[in-house]
Formats: sequence, C-alpha cells, structure tokens
Amino acid sequence: MRLVGVSKVYGDAESAVTALDNVSLSLPTGSFTAVMGPSGSGKSTLLQCAAGLDRPDRGVVVVDGAELAGGTEAELTKFRRNRIGFVFQSYNLLPTLTVLQNTTLPLRLAGRRVSRERARTILAQVGLADRLGHFPDQLSGGQRQRVAIARALVAEPAVIFADEPTGALDTRSAREVLELLREVVSAHGRTVVMVTHDPVAASHADSVVFLADGRLAGSMTEPTADAVAERLAHLGDVVAAGV
Amino acid sequence: MLQLAIRSVRKRPGRFVGTLLATFLGAAISMAFNSLHDTAGAAGIDDTSAETLGLSAGVVGGYGTLLVFFAVASTLTVNVRQRASEITLLRQSGATPAQVKRMIMGEAVLVAVLGTALAIGPAMLGGRLLLDMFQETDQVAPGVDHVFGPIALSAGFGVTLLASAGAAFLAVRRATRTAAGARAPRARLRTAGGVLALLGGAGGVAATYAIDPAEPGLMAAPAYGAILLSVGFATLSGGLLRTLLRLFGRPIAALTGAGGYLAVHNTRRRAASLAGVLMTLVLFTGITIATICIQVVESDAIEAAGVGKSVEDKNVETLNLVVVGIIAAFCCVMLVNSLYAATSYRRHEFGGQRLAGATPRQVLTMVATESGLLAVIGLFFGTVAGLAGALAFADVRLEAGLPGETVLIWLGTAAIAVTATMATSLLTARRALRTPAIQAVAVAA
Repeated sequence: MRLVGVSKVYGDAESAVTALDNVSLSLPTGSFTAVMGPSGSGKSTLLQCAAGLDRPDRGVVVVDGAELAGGTEAELTKFRRNRIGFVFQSYNLLPTLTVLQNTTLPLRLAGRRVSRERARTILAQVGLADRLGHFPDQLSGGQRQRVAIARALVAEPAVIFADEPTGALDTRSAREVLELLREVVSAHGRTVVMVTHDPVAASHADSVVFLADGRLAGSMTEPTADAVAERLAHLGDVVAAGV
Repeated sequence: MLQLAIRSVRKRPGRFVGTLLATFLGAAISMAFNSLHDTAGAAGIDDTSAETLGLSAGVVGGYGTLLVFFAVASTLTVNVRQRASEITLLRQSGATPAQVKRMIMGEAVLVAVLGTALAIGPAMLGGRLLLDMFQETDQVAPGVDHVFGPIALSAGFGVTLLASAGAAFLAVRRATRTAAGARAPRARLRTAGGVLALLGGAGGVAATYAIDPAEPGLMAAPAYGAILLSVGFATLSGGLLRTLLRLFGRPIAALTGAGGYLAVHNTRRRAASLAGVLMTLVLFTGITIATICIQVVESDAIEAAGVGKSVEDKNVETLNLVVVGIIAAFCCVMLVNSLYAATSYRRHEFGGQRLAGATPRQVLTMVATESGLLAVIGLFFGTVAGLAGALAFADVRLEAGLPGETVLIWLGTAAIAVTATMATSLLTARRALRTPAIQAVAVAA
C-alpha cells in the first residue's frame, strides 16, 4: 500500500484547514502499522483517504497494486470491496442481521458467491463459533469487534484498516482484539493499518508512524508502549523545531 | 424540565416541522367541521339549516376527528421514536425517567398547542367556505352566519393534545424502558389494542344494518367502522408482514439482489416498529376507498329513488366529494409526513451499510423493496377495511353490491398510495445518501 504526496484540505478558501499536507507513505504487504498522533493531527483523514472513504485533493493512493481512482461513490465502493476491509471503533455492524449474516454481507453486496462454510471457519477463528445466530445487540463490545474483524477478513482484502478498534473496549477485550489483528497479519498475510491514540495498542504493531499537524513526524519500529508514549509527549517539540 | 422543553423547541425548530404540520392540519380539519356545530347551535337559525349543519358536522366531523386522532398519533409516534439517542443522553446526564417524560411530553403538548393555535385562522376560513357551499347548494338558509365557537375549539385542541401527549407518552415509555435494559412488554398491549380496534370496527360496520336505510346519518357507522378496522389491521400487521417474509423472503431477495436481502431482514426485524407508517398508509387507503364508494352509492340511491338528478343534487354530490377529498388529502399528507420522518432518520443506518460495501444504488434498491412491501401490506389491509365499510353501506342503502365504479376508485387510490410511498421514501433516501458515509455514521454515534 502506497501514498504519494497526498493532501487534503477541508473548508473553503477563507477558513481552510489542511488536514493532510503532502504525505507520502509506503507500507509493505504483510505489515502491521499503527498511525499515531494527537487529536486533529490528521490521522483519521489519512485513514479515510487511504481507504477510499474520502478523496484526497492531491496525490495518489495505491492499494494492492491498483490506483484508487474513480469519482463516484459507487466506483469507490466497488474499488474498496475487493481490496479493503474495515474495522471501526463503533463496530458498524448492521443490527438487523445476525453474526453470520453480518459476516457474509460484504460478499453479498459484491455479488460474490457466499460461502457460509468459510464465514463459519473465520468466525470460529475469532472465537465466535457459538454465536452465529446472535444479533449484535446480544453481544459484548469485544465480541462485536471480533465479528467486525471476521467481516473484514471474509472478502479476503489486501489491506485492513482499523480506526481506533479498541477505543470502546475494556483492557482485556482490547488485548484480544489486538492479538487478533496481529494474527490477521501473521496467519492470513494481510496488511493492517491501525489508527489509534493508545500507546499500548500501538505497541502491538510492527511499526508506528507519527503524524502531527497533517504531516509525518517520524516513525518507530518494534515499538514499546513506553517509547511510543514518550515520543507522543514530545511530538509537539519536533514539529515546533521543524518550523 | 418544562424550560428545557421550551428551549429545545426554540433552538431546533426544524425537528418539529413534521409534528407541527401534523397537528396544524389535523386541528384545522377537525375545527373546520366542528365549527358547523357551533353555527347550527346559534340563536335564530331555522330547523332545516340546523339539521343539515348538525348532520354534516356530526357525520364527517365525527369520523374526521377520529381519523385526525389516529393519524396525528401515529405520525408523532414515528417522530418521537427518533429521539431515543437524545433520551439516552438525558438519562446519562442524570435525568430521571419522569423528568424525561415531562420534557418529551411537554414538547409534544407545546407543539400541539402551537399547531392548533395556528390552525384557528385557516379553520375559520375553511368552516366559512363549507357554510358558503351549503348555502350555494340551498341546503342552508342564506341568512345564516358562520360561528366559530367552543365546540370547534375544544374539538381542535382536544384531539391534537390527546393524540400528541398520548403518542409522546407511549414513545417515551418505550424508549426509557429500552434504555433501562428491560424487554418491552408491548406485544400483549399492542395486540389487545389491535383486537379491540378490530372489534370496534366490525361493530361499526355491523351497526350499519341496524340503522334505517333512509336515515341521513347512515354513512357515519360504516365510515367509523372502516377507520377502526384500519387501525386494528395496522396494529396487527407486524405478524402478517413476518409471515409473508418467511414465505417470500428468499424469492424477493433473489429477485432484487443484496439490496432486497437487506430489505427483507430489516423489515422482518422491524415489523413491529413499521406499524406507525403502516397505520397512516392503511388509514389513507381504507378511508379513501370507503368514503368515495359510500358517496357513489349515496348518489346512486338518490337517482334510484325515482327523482331525476337535479342541478341541486349534482351540487350536493360535488360538495360531498369535496369534503371526502379533504379527508383523503389529509391522510395522504400524513402518510408522506411520517414516511419522510422515518426515512430521513435512517441516515446513520444507510451510512453503516455503505461502509460495509453497499453502493448508493443498493441502498436505494433496499429502500424501494421495503417501501414496496409496505405498500402491498398497506394496500391489502386498507382495501379490506375500506370495502368492508362500503359493502355494508351499499347493502343497506341500495340492497345491492358495490357499484362498478369501485374498481376505478380502488385503482386511483392504489396508484396514489403506491406513488406517495415510493416517491417519498426514495427521494428522502436519495437526499440522505448525499452525506458522505463516514459523516453519516459519525453524526448519530
């Protein structure tokens, strides 16, 4: 997955806010990367642009060897379907569908053959084999997030984007979800990009990319929670010194 | 809490447009017809004029008011239901269920009072126009002046306040109970209410047979019956909808793709909460078919009495059709109103579906399929309720079956119902889809 010179400006000319300022980033296949930064640093915008949920004003996004192109929402949706999976902080499961139906939904929407067997296998892998017929409101937060991960996996996307996946979870469920994301990389060979503000969550990743004021502000490999927290605390200094 | 209610109405008037429109129109119709009672009761009015006015107010004003009650109540239920997240927020900030109830009901009453107050002017004008038409057709003496008095006012305020406060009370109770984690024990109460309405409706239709065919107030009984049958059917329709989807869910989904698949599951899970929208739809079809058919039968009866149709009779016929048309138009507006509220509320849900990989077209297919299902069920029950009333009236008045025009009336009503249902939900959904998916999800979260 690659971003080249991506910029995004919100608002009109007078009250323009630069959310992303010429960001270039390359993430190898099969890597687990955390994107960190303070509120308003542009990390959510980065994720949305990279994931084809929003269109960058300038720059190129390449996912799985294909350039993210196309103007209409339908075109972007079709691009995302086969290449990108999502895990959101608020789970974003459909309340009227069961766990199994939620998991197979991306396949149905894409008009692909629905393999219940495969969905069952994946749900068993995330520890929900006995919850197939439950509705989301009958599950705990951790369980819902695991359904979301299973749903992201079922279409076999190249990249999975996770937006604060542990934001609404207790520490135990959060750890389980993070370990599951780690497994997505190691066992399924997917690329995972996770936006988070939690140094502990970030420490589960292979590497951390820091973002401040819409620009890249360094990176870290083999992160530990303490080192990430330390770096975050001084992120403001780096940016100030750079200017 | 009352202050909070006043503030919340003042700060966000947009959210109350739907309920205001419902109470305004409802009060206007109810007051316009009931002002004829006031006019008939004025001093120095001749007996014939008083009888005509009293009859019109009693028959049309009576069932019209009942109709207004249910239409306003169901529209408000749809509107208040959407405030579940706000109610949760209030509870989290320390409001007790009683305080929440006072606030939401306070708002509903406030809007109802405002709507009714605004309706006074138009209702006076409407009442005067009705009186003019009666005078032009020589049914009321030319010297009679229009009076807008206590009966009109109490009917207007009574029906809208009762319907608004009642709907708000039930909606809040439901919302606070869900928030407290209790399972809603509504099913039994709902079923009991539905059965009661059906019994009342059947009673109304049956009562037609107990009334003298020449009695001018004859048409009130089947009209009341049709309204109550509509309400009962709408309340109990959830079960039928579920059965229908169990049988036809797969073929529908196979025919319409992923959008239809979502529609089938949505409708199945939400069958009970669709009752609000369904009620306005069934009321519209039921009452339109019933009243227009009754009017046609009445005209046929006058003709069959041997007297050729005079210009006068033609005028009376036109007048009656105008009156019935007003009632039907009101129902149609209520239908559009509640469908708009129900669909625009789904922005968040649409956002979630789009993030899960649905294209806008698939979301629209889903909405279209859901509306189609709703229209079929609504039409079916509305037709049954409407024809029950019309058949009873034709049987008693003419001792005959339904007139040939019934097919045309049904086709016209069905066309309007289907068009209004589909157009409203699709146009509203298309507007809701203009918000980028990621924002649509964030707004309500």
